[in-house]
Amino acid sequence: MATSTDRISSLTSERLPASRTRRRRSMQPGERVVLWASRVVIWCIIVMVLLPMWFVVIASFNPSNSYISFSLFPANASLVNYKTLFQGGQFWAWVRNSLLVGVVVAVAQSFITAMSAFAFSKLRFYGRKYGLMTLLLLQMFPNILAIAAFYTALAKLNMIDMLGSYILVMLGTSAFNIWLLKGYMDSVPRELDEAAVIDGATTWKRFIHVTLPLSTPMMVVIFFLTLVGIFSEYMFAGTILQSPWNYTLGVGMYNLISGQFAKNWGEFAAAALLSAVPLAIVFAIAQRYLTKGLVAGSVKG
Amino acid sequence: MAGSFPYEGGKPMATVMEIRRSHSRQRAKRRVDWIAYGYLSPALVTICVLSILPIFYTIYISFTNFNQMHFLSYQFIGLKNYEELLNPHDPLSNLFLPTFIWTLVYALCTTVLAYLVGLFLAVLLNNKHMKERTLYRTLLIVPWAVPNLISMLAWQGLLNDQYGQINALLHGVFGLPPIPWLTSALWARVAVIMVNVWAGFPYMMIVCLGALQSIPTDQYEAAEIDGANWWQVFRYVTMPSVWRISLPLLIPSFSFNFNNFNASYLLTGGGPPNSNNPFLGETDILATAAYKMTLTFNRYDLGATISVLLFILVALISWVQMRYTGAFKEVDA
Repeated sequence: MATSTDRISSLTSERLPASRTRRRRSMQPGERVVLWASRVVIWCIIVMVLLPMWFVVIASFNPSNSYISFSLFPANASLVNYKTLFQGGQFWAWVRNSLLVGVVVAVAQSFITAMSAFAFSKLRFYGRKYGLMTLLLLQMFPNILAIAAFYTALAKLNMIDMLGSYILVMLGTSAFNIWLLKGYMDSVPRELDEAAVIDGATTWKRFIHVTLPLSTPMMVVIFFLTLVGIFSEYMFAGTILQSPWNYTLGVGMYNLISGQFAKNWGEFAAAALLSAVPLAIVFAIAQRYLTKGLVAGSVKG
Repeated sequence: MAGSFPYEGGKPMATVMEIRRSHSRQRAKRRVDWIAYGYLSPALVTICVLSILPIFYTIYISFTNFNQMHFLSYQFIGLKNYEELLNPHDPLSNLFLPTFIWTLVYALCTTVLAYLVGLFLAVLLNNKHMKERTLYRTLLIVPWAVPNLISMLAWQGLLNDQYGQINALLHGVFGLPPIPWLTSALWARVAVIMVNVWAGFPYMMIVCLGALQSIPTDQYEAAEIDGANWWQVFRYVTMPSVWRISLPLLIPSFSFNFNNFNASYLLTGGGPPNSNNPFLGETDILATAAYKMTLTFNRYDLGATISVLLFILVALISWVQMRYTGAFKEVDA
């Protein structure tokens, strides 16, 4: 293995002019076959991946829940499922609860994360070198594993079934986000920060007026990832929130479908569609920045 | 092994330079910004109260008989909970070991299959002649973009053996008899792995695509001149780069799946029921086991004990990760 790798790597170091002249404009027949073969394979996989989601879309427009036979388009489409979903206003209460928890937690987390990332990136203090690594190591233990501790502590304090206690539990800062944002802040030119120091800016001004505005893109990513994360969280929400008017969207949808499939499948499909589409768009946008950061981080290391 | 990769060659030099530079910087200003602890305190407080304290409380509960019967008057009982779960002659022992084995199988299968599918698609998509590949890429990351909770619940409906559309499709197009997706032990396990590969491959695909696109083109040109066939190019040019970039993300993905509560609880609810285990079903993983023991059966002691055993397993996985990949090593730079 080693010899062959070395052979190729030794070739890469030399600039061979021949490679320039051999670059082709048009495809060779072999390449055309490969291209079309991979297209067909990709189309098949896309159909396999997306068909189940299309079934959910159809189900949301299908007026009868017990419709068993297979079809690619709804037979007599109607908005009846959406109407029943909105009746009584419970669905809006779930959306409102999720948004409330999500926005409060995302705002608080972004700010707390930014403050620590700023400290790790721009300030010197004892523990700077190993502090972040220690936090990352500690958080290898997801706090969902401490469910028994959380539940019994909240039960003893009489804090079950309150949105406030759910927000409190979700406020735990993610060391991973600090690491992500610290990496981004490290790439902010040092000169800007030094110029602010020379101008006599306080640490707070350096944070608010120099570093924070320049790391806005990553802050936005962290904000939205936290927000989407709250919408995807079931374990704590299902533990803490017990009465239907306190449900978040996820707990509400879980209770719509689990155990009573035939009754509510259409309604569930409508709710899934209404909540998944905006969240998927938000996530797809945030993910582009995130994967860039992830790949850049691991290339650097 | 890593040293044979051509682009590793320049690294030690750069590191030395960096160390030297940081040393001179430290000499220039030796002061400590005490205010830094103020900036760190909100994060430290939330992490202490919401991550570290609950871990210690969980460990404490695992040594007591804290459950619904002893909610106010529980006592310290030493290692009894651990003995009950780990001693093969104890009736409660089939709570832990079979669940652990299934958790391991599930996490391994899901991670490896998702990685292979993602890598395969990334290689196909990394074709310069394919002009419309951005469209394919966008369509293929949809399962990742949909919140996990919604897609798992939707799959629960789609896989229903009487009304679900997957069985309707298999029957209508291929003429297959209905498959008992969520009611037979074997098919429920197949369904859990299948659905989680469906949800997990886009992430792997994105990571592999990023890795593929970071390979300089002259390496391919050089390999071509050298007369390498496509397999040799893939094996000796493509894979080392892809492996180097994706491995640090592969092990966290395994430990994520290891604790992926949503994956089994929202899809199958842990079911179908297991005949020789009154508490847990056939597809319960350790995380859902801890949850069910706590919330469904009010056995906080056993829930906490399973959690502590899971903590130890996660620590082992993390240790392996630190040992073999050196991930996060740039944190202390």
